Order: sequence, then C-alpha cells, then structure tokens
Amino acid sequence: MSGDTQWQKPRYLEPDQLAQTPARDEQVRARELPLTAVSDVAEDESSPATVSAAPSQPRRSRGRRLFALSIGGLLTAGVGIELYRLLQWGFATHPWLGAGLSGLLALALISGGTQVWRSLRGLRQLRQTEALQQQAERLLLHSGQGQASRFLKQLEVQYQQRPGHQTLLDAIRDLDSAYSDAEVVRYLSRHALTEQDARARRCVQRYSIESGVLVALSPWATFDMLLVGWRNLRMLREIAAIYGIAPGAAAQWALLRRVLHSLAFAGASEMAIDAGSAALGSSLTSTLSARAGQGLGAGLFTARTGVEALRLCRPLPQVVREEPLLKAVASGIVERLGRG
Amino acid sequence: MGIGRKLKGWMGEERAEALRERLHEVAEQSTERHLRLAVTGLSQSGKTVFITALAHHLLQAHRSVSLPFFEVAASGRIVSTRDLSPTAPRPFPLQSALARLAQEPPAWPASTEDLSEVRLAIRYRRTAGLRRLLSETGTLYLDIIDYPGEWLLDLPMLTLDYAGWCAQQAQLFAVEPRASVAEQWLAQVRAIDWSAPADRQQIRDLSQSFADLLQQLRADPHALSLLQPGRLVLPGALAGDERLALFPLPVAEWPAGGWPPGSGGELLSQRYAGYRDDVVKPFYTRHFARFDRQIVLVDCLKTLNRGEHCFDDMKRALTSILQSFNYGRSGFLRRLFSPRIDRVLFASTKADHVTANQHHNLDRFLELIIQDAQRDIRFEGIETRCLALSSVRSTQAAEAQVDGQTLSCLRGWRKSDGEEVALFPGEVPTELPRPQDWNDERFRFIDFAPRRLPLNDLQAKHHIRLDQVLEYMMGDLFR
Repeated sequence: MSGDTQWQKPRYLEPDQLAQTPARDEQVRARELPLTAVSDVAEDESSPATVSAAPSQPRRSRGRRLFALSIGGLLTAGVGIELYRLLQWGFATHPWLGAGLSGLLALALISGGTQVWRSLRGLRQLRQTEALQQQAERLLLHSGQGQASRFLKQLEVQYQQRPGHQTLLDAIRDLDSAYSDAEVVRYLSRHALTEQDARARRCVQRYSIESGVLVALSPWATFDMLLVGWRNLRMLREIAAIYGIAPGAAAQWALLRRVLHSLAFAGASEMAIDAGSAALGSSLTSTLSARAGQGLGAGLFTARTGVEALRLCRPLPQVVREEPLLKAVASGIVERLGRG
Repeated sequence: MGIGRKLKGWMGEERAEALRERLHEVAEQSTERHLRLAVTGLSQSGKTVFITALAHHLLQAHRSVSLPFFEVAASGRIVSTRDLSPTAPRPFPLQSALARLAQEPPAWPASTEDLSEVRLAIRYRRTAGLRRLLSETGTLYLDIIDYPGEWLLDLPMLTLDYAGWCAQQAQLFAVEPRASVAEQWLAQVRAIDWSAPADRQQIRDLSQSFADLLQQLRADPHALSLLQPGRLVLPGALAGDERLALFPLPVAEWPAGGWPPGSGGELLSQRYAGYRDDVVKPFYTRHFARFDRQIVLVDCLKTLNRGEHCFDDMKRALTSILQSFNYGRSGFLRRLFSPRIDRVLFASTKADHVTANQHHNLDRFLELIIQDAQRDIRFEGIETRCLALSSVRSTQAAEAQVDGQTLSCLRGWRKSDGEEVALFPGEVPTELPRPQDWNDERFRFIDFAPRRLPLNDLQAKHHIRLDQVLEYMMGDLFR
C-alpha cells in the first residue's frame, strides 16, 4: 500500500450544515381529530397484487452450463431430425400412416407438455412455500407492527386456487388490529390450517402404521426396503396435495430430497425427539419379536419423514410441537401387531 | 377439639389457624392442581377490571372463541368452569362489576375498598399421556385475590422498624414535589418536642392532617404512588381506629437511646410496631406469602401524562413492593409446602388507550419502569416477560388523513364527559423523555369509558392479549 490515506480524517462539523437534522423533534404531536375526518380501519379486502418475485436460482458454473446447452441442443436436434424423417417416411409410404404417426406425435407432445408444466408448477409452489416460511420466521422475531400485511397478501395470492382458501380468508379476517407481526403469524399458524394439519397428520399416521405393519409381516429384507420407499413416496405426494402443492414427479423428488436433507442434518431438537423415540422403541421392542421391531423402526422412519414433509409443505412455521404423533404411530403399530 | 385448643394455646391463635389452613391446602394440592395467582398493581392500575375480565372470559371459555391464544380453550379442551367464589368468606363482586360493564352506558367497576377473593374451578380434558390414564378430565383451581392497591404499599414496612421508616420518609419528603406540598406539616411536626410526654389529641390532629396530605399527593397533579401507611389513605374496615393515628417523624436527629418512656415519640414507635404486626403482617401472611405465579399490572400512561416525578415515584414503589414476594424455582415438594413465585409477567394495562403500533414501545417503556425489580427477579432465575394488555377494550382502531399522510388513531368515548372522540394520543417513547418533553404537546393519553362488554357471546375483540396472559400464566398446567 502506498502512503495515500485510504480513510477520511476525523473532523468537527457544524450542526447547522448537516443536511439532515436529527429527527428528535419531528415526532408527531398528540392531537384530537374531528370525528368526521376519521374512517374506521377496515380489514383489507382489496384484490391483492400479483406476486412476481421468484427466488433466484443458484448460479451454475459457465462450463457446466455450456456443456448442458450443447448436449441438450444436440439431442433435441437429433430427435427432431429423426422424428422429421420418420414422418417423411410415413407420409411417403402412405398418407394414412403419416397421419397416424403425426397424431401420435402430437398426443405425446401435448401430454408430455402438461406433465412438465404440472411438475414445474409444483416446484414453483414448493419454492414459494419455502419463501413464505422464511418470511414468517422473520416476522416471528419482529415484535413491531406493519410488516405483516405484505406477507398476508402473498399468502392469500398463493392460496387462491388451493384447498382451504376459505378457512385462510376467514382466519385473516378474524385477525385483530392490535396484533403485532409475530402474533399474526402465530395466530394464523394455529387457526388458519387446522383442517389441513389434521388431514396431514392422519395421513402420516396411516402410512406409517401401514408401512410398519407391512415390513413386520414381509418375509424378504429387499422387499422391505422397496416397500418403505414406495409408501414414503406415496405419502409425500399425498401430503403435498393436502397443502395444495401440485403433485408432480419433479415436486415429489424435490420434496424427497429436502426431507432427506433435513433428516440427515437434523438439529438438536429433532435429535432429542429421535432419542426419545429410540428409547420408546427399545422399551416396546423388548416385548416384541425381531421382525416386529423392524416394523416399528420402519414405521417410525416413515412417520419422521412425514412430519418433515408436513413441515416443508406448510406455508407457516409450526408453533406447537409435534411430538405426540410419533408416540401415536408407535403405539398404533404395536397395537396392530398385537391384534394381528 | 381438646387437642386443637391445646395447640392454639401453645402456638398462639393465629399461627394455629395458619397451620390448619396450610394443612388443608396441602391435602388439596396433592390431589388437584392449584394455582394461586398474584395480581399485583398500584391503585388505579386496573386490577379489578383485569380480574373481572379474566373470570368472565374463563367462565365462557368452553365456547372457545374469545381466547384464540389460550391453547387449552382454543383447542376446545375446556369442559366447563365453575365459579366457587361464593364459598369464600369475602367473595369478589363479579356480578356487579359485570353489570356495570354491561349496562348502557357502560362504566368501569367501582374501585376496590376491601379485600375479596375469586375462586374458579376449571375442568378440562387431559392431553394424551400418563395422567390421562388416571382420569379423563382434570380440574385446575384458580385463586385470585383483589385488594386495594394502596394497602400493597405497606408490605415494604414489614422489614423496617420505626426509626428506619422515618429515615426513609424523611428522605422522600426532602425532595419535590413532596417537600413543598408538605412544607407546613413538616414545620408543625418539627416544632414539637417529641421527648415530652405524649399529647394524644395533638397526635390525632397531626395524623389527620398527614392523611389529608397523602390524599393531596395522591390526587392530580402529583399522582404519586409511594404513600405509606396505606391504611391511612384507604382505611377500609379500620376507619376511625386509634391505631391508625400514625405518621413518620422526619426529625433531623434521632435520640441515641430511643425515645423516653411515655413520650410522644415512644407512643408513635409503639403504634408503628402495632400497625406493622397487627395490620400488615396478617395481611401479608394470609394473602401474600403463598403465590405460584404473579402478574404485575402497571399503568404506564399515567406516568407519561403526569411527568418525571410520577415516573420516579412509581418505579420506586414497584421496586420496593416486589421485594416482598418470594421468588424462586418451585419443585413438586416446594409447591406443596412453601410455594414460591416461579413466573412473573409484567403487563402495561390500558394498551387500548394507545394505537396498536405503539404496543411494542409500550413494552419497552414498561421495561424502563420495572428494570430494577426485573433485574432482581431474573437473578433468582425466574422467567419474566413484558406485555401490553387491555382487559376490556374501550377503543376502536381508526385512521385519518392528516397533512397528506395516514395517521392511525383511536375512536372511543371520553371517560370524563362521555363524548365520542377520535384521538391520536402521541407516541410512547422507548427511552426516558427529557424534562422538557413531559408535556401535553407530546403525550395526551386520556381515559376512555369502556365499550359495552356483553354478558354472553364474548369475542376476541373484547380484549387485547388477555388470552396470552392466560397462556403464559397457566397454559402449562393443563396437561
């Protein structure tokens, strides 16, 4: 570094010269207002603005993108040319054959397009849910007022076509004008999604007990793994549908990836629950056969996956803890096995 | 009976009585859940309204609409609530307080002049767990005592003898605004030789003028809080009692060997000791020594309206009162034999008298008032929290266009003349305002008359955060 000064010298300034005087005296004064000049605060029922902000994609490296582009282009060109040739050959052979082939091609294109569009929509909804959750978490730490209205608008927009829209609107209408931002989130989390929560919990419970019992009864270990995986995927799909996320393959896989990720990097609280369920498991399994123990383990795993998926699909963070579910699952499995 | 009488002979009537009550309580507590909630607050801080609203909402909690943040009520687990107050020796006048709030035009309940008790039994369905195996439902007994806030100020006197109390009072009366208001009375007291034989008539007259002085300090514009002895301000059942002819001696030097026998000074010392031991101590041991949870109600707006003296005085009063309570973690055995307060909530009442966006500031300002007390309590490892509360909501949020910008304000009925007004009451500061800021220009928090509180069909809009108070105070007991 050279001897040039990189920093400003400290010096005194004239208070009068400051562009902005300190806002100390700019407080709004107390005053009475004529009754005619005020209007009551009505609940905001205007049509909400559309949300356009999509979370930015992580940037991939340039080389990789170039590679992907060139390969994609090559494949598209190859397939396109092949298809063109096929159609040409078909029409050359017989017009009816050509028409049939082009009909099939159109059908494939349309159905494929819908599939892709649906799964992309699911992905987008999943991302939006995640963004909403993050915003809600931020609001939970904020004890002032005034930042929740944007969040509420976004929530409303995203839930316009999803199930439970009316319950959500009712809950938003019931919000008290005195609630702070954190209270708004806590209130909605408790009262806006009750129906979906109950359904999702029932769904998790059903699938976990099913997979637990199936594993306990199945004779082959390989089959067990397939079974658990299949049940888990079905469950994820169903939970996503309950919370209004379009069930598509892409969304399902993204959800699975996130669930597995959060299971693998579980925080301290999850670890505690896990320890609890392990202790519970051991005390229960000591009275059961080894196969039934495996079933219990599989059931608990499914239940944890389900709880995690529930947490990810919910647009609002959960305020109440969800421990009893795991216990209910465990006792449910044991009960079925005992009866069976 | 024989044994009972002997016991009383050995231990003294009062102690035997206390022991009997204690044993009775222990027997009850080991089978049912019991919560003794201390509602602490200076006079005019809203204790009676709080207790009325709390009991009213709890008695209707099985309808589960008015308390969305009170988990056990919101999830519909409350079966029913029964009001057991009529079995208490001095029942809380719940019905008359509710009637006043429900009449047209509604009025605030009359201010408390004597002690009374509320006792509620809340029956609830248990959550899944071990306790559920024992029985499907549980019962929580909730005990609350209402009392005049003036009497609370006697509690710090328990630890002081007459000389110490006089020294403390002399300090208080040396500074404004007490010094100038009491100037004449102080001169009178100082002119008298207190070592001379007692003149009972003179003492009675001086005590009367001291009581008048306290009333004067309590009223506007001073609105001071730390006024002792409390029974002189509000005698209750002791009106006209000779024991109340009592006042501090703010004399410069205290005689080295105590006052000579038969002197006026000695008579006053004896009266002080008698007052402390016969009036304050029973009040404390019977009602204040055994609490599980505490809510401290503070009227912050009053201090903002009245200025720095009022603020300082209230801070001092609250800090010294809260030192009289037992804090500490309370385990199972401890709860049976000597309960301690294990959770404290500081609530600034009348949150409906400021706009909703100021509630956060109100919390911060409350922290300024109670910071010393809170520090002591936290030192004991006790959870504390600050909350802006309104037990009965008296205003409605509104907004107005002023100078091109939207200003949120309040709409309600003024308490003094019943006229409907819309008001922007000013912003609540989050730090102590400078001396020149305590004025009408900056804060204008007026008292509002209540809105009508219906006897049935309570809604969440009838209160602000009463449900969160309930959740914090007893939410964990409904298992």
